[in-house]
Amino acid sequence: MIYWGGNPAECHPRHFTKYTIMQKGKFVPNGRKGRTMVLVDIRETPSAKAADLFLQIRPGKDFEVLTILRALIKNQRVDSRIAEETGLTLEQLQNLVDRMKNARFGIIFFGMGLSMTRGKHMNSAGVLMLAAEMNAYTKFVAMPMRGHGNVTGSDMVLRWSTGYPFGVNLCRGYPRFNPGEFSTVDLLVRGDIDAALILGADPGATMPQPGIDHLARIPTIVLDPKVTHTSRLARVHITTAATGISAPGTVYRMDEIPLPLRPALKSPYPTDEEVIRRIRELVAKKPAWNETTNGELATV
Amino acid sequence: MPGKRFLMNAGRTTKQGQQINVGKDSAEYQAIVNTITMHPDDMKEAGILSGGTVRVRSDNGEALFQCKEGKVPQGMIFVPYGPPTCRLMGQSTDGTGMPTSKGWEVEVEPVAN
Repeated sequence: MIYWGGNPAECHPRHFTKYTIMQKGKFVPNGRKGRTMVLVDIRETPSAKAADLFLQIRPGKDFEVLTILRALIKNQRVDSRIAEETGLTLEQLQNLVDRMKNARFGIIFFGMGLSMTRGKHMNSAGVLMLAAEMNAYTKFVAMPMRGHGNVTGSDMVLRWSTGYPFGVNLCRGYPRFNPGEFSTVDLLVRGDIDAALILGADPGATMPQPGIDHLARIPTIVLDPKVTHTSRLARVHITTAATGISAPGTVYRMDEIPLPLRPALKSPYPTDEEVIRRIRELVAKKPAWNETTNGELATV
Repeated sequence: MPGKRFLMNAGRTTKQGQQINVGKDSAEYQAIVNTITMHPDDMKEAGILSGGTVRVRSDNGEALFQCKEGKVPQGMIFVPYGPPTCRLMGQSTDGTGMPTSKGWEVEVEPVAN
């Protein structure tokens, strides 16, 4: 098991014990003792304690390390000086390749240390290519470690309803996908949008400042159980019940398994779903903004 | 005096995750997102005292943080994400939809209390 650019000991605290290294499996009856865990990161995080092998690479060198690994698994020659620029020696990288090839079933869990730094989606593509190419030697897969609760759920639902995971534009009545053009951060930083409805997120505490400033300029509506940085700058904040605690729903695990939620408590507040349904009902009663569509878009 | 240049690496911590559910107005949450961690030798070289206030500048903005020493490689700063890091982070997504949220070049200088 390879964790790359992630710190599950702090950020996914149940991952080791419930899903990965500690669990006993049909073909791994000894659990932790039957597995090898490698951690690749730019700093020694608390997750390093759980690893059999910790490889500390230089910041921003993920793509280079991945490319060298892809060369080494195909027995290509790699210049040791080029390898050393990544912060690792060629021997360390060869050792990792040998361990990967000797595994019966390998997995790479990649986190935001990989996808949010220099290289971004090319780093993720590098991991996916490496896992795909490893299948010439043994079974190997890759899985992203997500940042917030139920990001996987948002990706899944957008995927089966529009065909794309994020950055989807429905303005023309059919889905169009173009990250960098239709993705939230870009739309906000460029100031393209003139209204925002925020559900289950706090961009006011996480996005680049020009995007936050734009949210404060336009009519922003927030649905959230709590007062957040975003709710403070919004024109309207509707308090909703907390999903999983006082509202039912479905959450997707990081391996894309949907789990139904049974609320333990009752809430005096409506659920997100109820608020959206009521807004849609009221919008549908309004006259169409464009006669040619005959109001169809408003009721889709 | 220009500050020394470092690579700022933002992330999450377990304590921060717990405090998000308590409330982002709590003093604990504010303290977490306003504290950077640096290598002790880097702090000595930049003339920063443990617990001292520092001004961090990136190409996009600046913010004030408290500074403590910790286990990070030399030349690197660790900070949990929060409103102060929003002012420093990259705004371009390079066509990916994802802003550069880790690994910014920043300047750090101590601020007299």
